Amino acid sequence: MNTRFLIYSATAAAFLGLAGCASAPGESIYVPAGSSRAEAPEPPEASSKDDKPRVWRKSEQPEVSEPAEPAPRSSSPSYRDAGDSLSPAAISLIREADNLLAQGDAPAAIARLERAQRIAPRSAEVYFKLSEAYVASDQLGTAEQFTLKGLSLAGSNARLQRSGWLLLADIRRARGNVAGADQAEARAANL
Amino acid sequence: MKKSTPSSKRNRKTPRKSPRNGRRPWFWRFVFRASAIGLVLLAGWTVYLDAVITSRFEGRRFEVPSRVYARPLELYDGASISASALERELELSGFRKGDGSRAGTYQRSGGRFVISTRGFLFPDGQEPRRRLALTVYRDRVENFSVLSGEASPIVRLEPAQIGGIYPSHKEDRILVQLEEVPALLPTTLMAVEDRNFFDHAGIAPLSIARAMLANIRAGEIVQGGSTLTQQLVKNFFLTRDQTLVRKGNEALMSLLLELHYEKGDILETYLNEVYLGQAGTRSINGFGLASQFYFGESLRDLQEHQIALLVGMVKGPSYYNPRRHPERATKRRNLVLSEMEEAGLIDSVRAAKARGKPLGVSARPSYSENRYPAYIDLVRRHLARDYREEDLRSEGLRIFTTLNPAIQNAAEYAVTDTLGRLASGETRKALEAAMVVTAKDSGEVLALVGGRDPQYAGFNRALDANRPIGSLIKPFIYLAALEQPERYTLITPVLDKSFTLEFDDGRRWQPKNYDKTERGEVPLHEALSQSYNLPAVRVGLDIGVDVVKDTLQAFGVTSSISEYPSMLLGSVTMNPVTVAQMYQGLATSGFNTPLRTIREVTDAGGEALSRYSLEVDQVADPAAVHLVQYAMQETMQEGTGKSAYYTVPRELTLAGKTGTTDDGRDSWFAGFSGDLLAVSWVGRDDNGPTSLTGASGALPVWSRFMAQVPQHSFSPVVPDGVQYQWVNAERQALTKEHCNGARLVPLISGSEPTQTVSCSGNLQRQIEGWFEGLFR
Repeated sequence: MNTRFLIYSATAAAFLGLAGCASAPGESIYVPAGSSRAEAPEPPEASSKDDKPRVWRKSEQPEVSEPAEPAPRSSSPSYRDAGDSLSPAAISLIREADNLLAQGDAPAAIARLERAQRIAPRSAEVYFKLSEAYVASDQLGTAEQFTLKGLSLAGSNARLQRSGWLLLADIRRARGNVAGADQAEARAANL
Repeated sequence: MKKSTPSSKRNRKTPRKSPRNGRRPWFWRFVFRASAIGLVLLAGWTVYLDAVITSRFEGRRFEVPSRVYARPLELYDGASISASALERELELSGFRKGDGSRAGTYQRSGGRFVISTRGFLFPDGQEPRRRLALTVYRDRVENFSVLSGEASPIVRLEPAQIGGIYPSHKEDRILVQLEEVPALLPTTLMAVEDRNFFDHAGIAPLSIARAMLANIRAGEIVQGGSTLTQQLVKNFFLTRDQTLVRKGNEALMSLLLELHYEKGDILETYLNEVYLGQAGTRSINGFGLASQFYFGESLRDLQEHQIALLVGMVKGPSYYNPRRHPERATKRRNLVLSEMEEAGLIDSVRAAKARGKPLGVSARPSYSENRYPAYIDLVRRHLARDYREEDLRSEGLRIFTTLNPAIQNAAEYAVTDTLGRLASGETRKALEAAMVVTAKDSGEVLALVGGRDPQYAGFNRALDANRPIGSLIKPFIYLAALEQPERYTLITPVLDKSFTLEFDDGRRWQPKNYDKTERGEVPLHEALSQSYNLPAVRVGLDIGVDVVKDTLQAFGVTSSISEYPSMLLGSVTMNPVTVAQMYQGLATSGFNTPLRTIREVTDAGGEALSRYSLEVDQVADPAAVHLVQYAMQETMQEGTGKSAYYTVPRELTLAGKTGTTDDGRDSWFAGFSGDLLAVSWVGRDDNGPTSLTGASGALPVWSRFMAQVPQHSFSPVVPDGVQYQWVNAERQALTKEHCNGARLVPLISGSEPTQTVSCSGNLQRQIEGWFEGLFR
């Protein structure tokens, strides 16, 4: 139980200000489909022949400014320092999962978190939450793997790194891996 | 006439045997015995029929097929979808273009959508009805809002049905209960087919007489006279031939049925049993499915003119088929509406209004069977691990898969469109292909194409074509090497020079490069991105074939792998799905993620039976995988995959690997973006040669696919213990960004070059690198 408490507090720390950190460095770059030439035509079964051309009425014009186009990339392999931050949609699913966990319904929480994972697959937080849900359902091996996956996306984000390593230390200790736990704790302390 | 013949025969014979006996006592004895036997037989027959009826009625009354659903589309701000894909998705889920305020309709103007969902019972709970508004701009959802219904920043549409697992008799139905049926349906049905349903005992002699009279008067069959009970019995238990015996059985069974069961029970069974159409080999039974099939709507949402049409069709579903014979169907529907009016079910104003309405039938059935045969094939193989075939065919299970219709559509188009333009002549005709697309981080199989004709449910190459993988193995050789950073880095020089291996039994093996040239020393990253054979074999032999084999197995390959050195050039055979499984770990920093096609299975009532959860398992050092990902990105930018950018937008960063086997027998490409992992294969079923390489066969298919799908670039997070440094590979030294030959390369801590070279070319520290000794 002590372990659990530690784990909860670690992830709770990770989620403080969840909504606050809107733009972490190195968000994924979204690329709309290429030219319309490249897009598949309607499949023969579909019957939407009255496709209207994309015309914006003034009133419907989206109020966002044209997104800054990524500069034409030099042809060198891409990398970044941290994973994606969570979208409001993902945050709302995680909140629902939190409530379910608090009610003791870990399977339902996991289902909700998998939905969040599908729409935010490159956010460390989702995996840490999955880990927490698996701890709650006593599947510590699975929990450890999700923590590692989350850590692989935490990158240079010290807050996420720290909560990830602490989570890992707790899980390892609960699994009887004292050396591994100490190692993880040392990593957290060094951040 | 008939009577007299036998009696006259008897007359001739009897006088000789018993001249005194008259024929009367004998005749009566015969009649008595015959009737006694007849009665016994009839009683026996009745008991038999009774048993037939009760056994059929008592147990499970219907075998209900299992339904297979696509993944539900999630709508939220930032969701990735094009406006045309959204429209296609809505149609596939049975939405109709309309005002967007009736459940099951949507309105589109440009990129602006208003959608009224019907609500759906998902395994994790009910998604309520909502009215949504959103804009699709640059292939992304914006300004998402819930106009009415429970507020939420994310909403799931009801999923499209993509398949069914049918009972052997091929009857399809959606079971409905009497309480959930709109009241107008049974009352209309009775008004038209059986006015005295609640009063008769199964048969209605008066109606039969009335019908006969009407038929005689009209000179043709205009009225049936059968009660609903008789119709049910006819459909349920009897063959279709019109004999007197059958008529007798029908009457008898109808009486028995009424004796045993409540009227409500019989009515409900009728509503679910009645035959209302045909879709290929599948028959459409019951009003629940017919409503979906003809209107794309749930029975509870039907309006009176729609109910009238369905009830009218009971008389002859193919004769009154509203899609094929709209005029007949309209006439029949209006007749039913008049009957409804006459019976006082609707007032004359509404009846007149309903008669003026169009049929309101959807252009095509919202779901056509076998649209995705290859994908369903994989789903069935996965289901077979946990479910019995007979349960799948009869228990009405609901199977929630991971199929993404937009991705599937793009993959099918990429295969069919590209294959027609590859090679030429006979080879072109013989070319086949397969493709697998998965979600990179969840392992969900989003699309599967089993051949050049995706609608053909035959040989499924994505699963059953086991072919040598060629150079697709190389990333795993170099991964195994890079996991030893003290021996190998991305800039380690590797030898591109031929050699001969001699085995103990005297056989010799002399691998060659594809272009038959040799380049001497090349840096490891280039050996991989240009897919040179000789360095790959040398490195593989250096670290050990067994180590490479272990790596493949760690990444999820369960088929047998030979330990012959030729495996280092990909002589090992795999099907495209296995290749996708193996590449999943490369795409996700070393986390093996089992491929899944099924998220959940529930029973007919929505109770969860199985969940197939996301699993991850770290099987490789993320740092080493990151280095391989670097070289696989280089493949796309400078190496064997660069022709992808003729098709794919330049901004989309990708990573991948080509594969070719001898004489172009197999052309492979495996690669990934930030969101998707895709594997394509092109070759011939007879394993004959083609003129294709991985880059000229499978890559064009792959690129055509990637270009159609809006998605995120591949840009991996730098793992712990990896730093990017400017290096001069030729000089094996660190350097400055703008110096000649400088390249920014990820290095595992501790494996950096120990010397530095300036822009003018002076080595600043003369220390012999540890790596130089390795290749002497």
